[in-house]
Amino acid sequence: MKAVCWMGKSKVETLTVADPQLLNPHDAIIKITRTAICGSDLHLYDGFIPTMESGDILGHEFMGVIEEVGKEVTNLRRGDRVVVPFTIACGSCLFCKKKIWAACDNSNPNAHLMEAAYGYSGSGLFGYSHMMGGYAGGQAQYARVPFANVGPLKINSDLPDEKVLFLSDIFPTGYMAAENAQIQPGDTVAVWGCGPVGQFAIASAFMLGAARVIAIDRLPERLEMARSLGAITVDYSEEDVSVLTALKDLTGGIGPDACIDAVGLEAHSAQLQGTYDKIKVALLMETDRPSVLRQAIQAVRKGGTLSVPGVYGGLLDKVPFGAAFGKGITMKMGQTNMHNYMKPLLERIEKGQIDPSYIISHRITLEQAPEMYKVWRDKKENVTKIVIDPWAETAA
Amino acid sequence: MSSALTEKPYAEELPTTGAAGMILNGRYLPPPEDKDGKIWVRTSALVQASPEDLYTIWRNVEQAPAWQEQITRVVKTGERTSHWVMETDGKTIEWDSEVLADEPGKRIAWRSTGGDSDNAGEVVFEEASGGRGTMVTVLQEFRMGKLASAWETFVGRNPKQAVIENLRHFKALAEAGEIPRTQGQPHGDRGLIGKTKASTYGEKIPNAIRLELICDRSHPVPGT
Repeated sequence: MKAVCWMGKSKVETLTVADPQLLNPHDAIIKITRTAICGSDLHLYDGFIPTMESGDILGHEFMGVIEEVGKEVTNLRRGDRVVVPFTIACGSCLFCKKKIWAACDNSNPNAHLMEAAYGYSGSGLFGYSHMMGGYAGGQAQYARVPFANVGPLKINSDLPDEKVLFLSDIFPTGYMAAENAQIQPGDTVAVWGCGPVGQFAIASAFMLGAARVIAIDRLPERLEMARSLGAITVDYSEEDVSVLTALKDLTGGIGPDACIDAVGLEAHSAQLQGTYDKIKVALLMETDRPSVLRQAIQAVRKGGTLSVPGVYGGLLDKVPFGAAFGKGITMKMGQTNMHNYMKPLLERIEKGQIDPSYIISHRITLEQAPEMYKVWRDKKENVTKIVIDPWAETAA
Repeated sequence: MSSALTEKPYAEELPTTGAAGMILNGRYLPPPEDKDGKIWVRTSALVQASPEDLYTIWRNVEQAPAWQEQITRVVKTGERTSHWVMETDGKTIEWDSEVLADEPGKRIAWRSTGGDSDNAGEVVFEEASGGRGTMVTVLQEFRMGKLASAWETFVGRNPKQAVIENLRHFKALAEAGEIPRTQGQPHGDRGLIGKTKASTYGEKIPNAIRLELICDRSHPVPGT
């Protein structure tokens, strides 16, 4: 089959590799019909996530048709249409029982690597480093899905792939971010980053009762999209704009009730601290660039909530923890507990409450993926979301 | 070449300070120190199953190749004795083992009695609080120098890590009915550096698990 492989920092190639096979009794093989490139794939592309190896198949947002199931998979059969969650969960351990699926004990074959870095291991993820399981990803024509009895969401309706594909990660991730923001009726919520996760966080914040959402970014097409959802936008790159002042101005001086960092470890900053972080990362003195996190901690109101769906990987410098303590804020974060959200969010799509496909800007073939990683990283061509048809020969 | 597993059998008593020597009179005790040519490892896991069921799976030694890395065959030779075959670093080693203590649903202790490996260990099953399953604690020792241990780390699996990983496999098998794996999945060219990292990633651990021995969850122990 053809697959998009990570071949080193800033180096992605579409290669012909072996087809996946059933390896365990709860596995399924799916023929992928649509797959996408995630913002978090850029952290791999840019070399921020350790334990990637040359040859790793990328991709964790995919859906398709069941080709073959292992002998213990009784809920799916060949021909079923499914969306696959990016976190892999066994469904049986203490954490799965508590519905903290992203903390599954039994799905990471390389748990010891993550234990060394984080104390304990989270669940395995598709196509997201060996530390996080080393599973081959879904930017390919086929994929092996472990614990297929637990994860994949069956799509029984004839909704097109593009409307349900983002149930694999970014829609539930944006929704959990809004849920983690503990929104009360009338709240003002500030969202940093108007990429796909930020978009779904904005839409979900409104669904959960936010009165006002303030969206922060610098790319005109993304800010436009946020306004189309009803958010007030702040362009942090504009001269004379201070995000902290803007958020005070828009909240009667008290600050947003909740802040959502939908940017994560590769934040850009118009301020001097952006340069500071780039230098420190280059000198291996920190691993992540936390300028959004710093600002969100600073901005959130007293007793407010900070929700972090943006990915962080390692060690952060100069995080204003005193401000977090001083204001008594709550911080909620982590990989998405996908399995809690896929079904209810599918119902919202089926009822026509949201059509997640509105964020798609590019439809491409597997062969185009390497060049599109570069476009995605550099935010060229007004890119907002790239979807791959792994069977297409020519671009749509 | 690692020859630590070929020394004479070890015959001292194991520590008797309660559950795998972890708590004595309310005080936490660290695992024994590596010295005098012996290395120790202690590890624990919280497993969603009853102590009785877990005891049964563990005690069924012929099933061990389903969850113990590099163990290729175990044959029961008596009520309390068994013969073990392991493939490590491209060679086969064999030893005999006997059960020293057998408390159904609670504890098993064993030691090797002859052959190429000199090891002893115990496993303790304790019901966790609040319906949280069973705390399984393993304490194991090998007669093996630090240098030999380091060599094993380099060429394959560090023996201490193997005990930790085996308990992880045991837990996964008991809870989820399978052990997560990536050996045999597709990938692009690993390149020169990727090919040399034999010990780092599960994808390359040789002969990790005998897949055909993994049975379905409703019947974890064939023949019992």
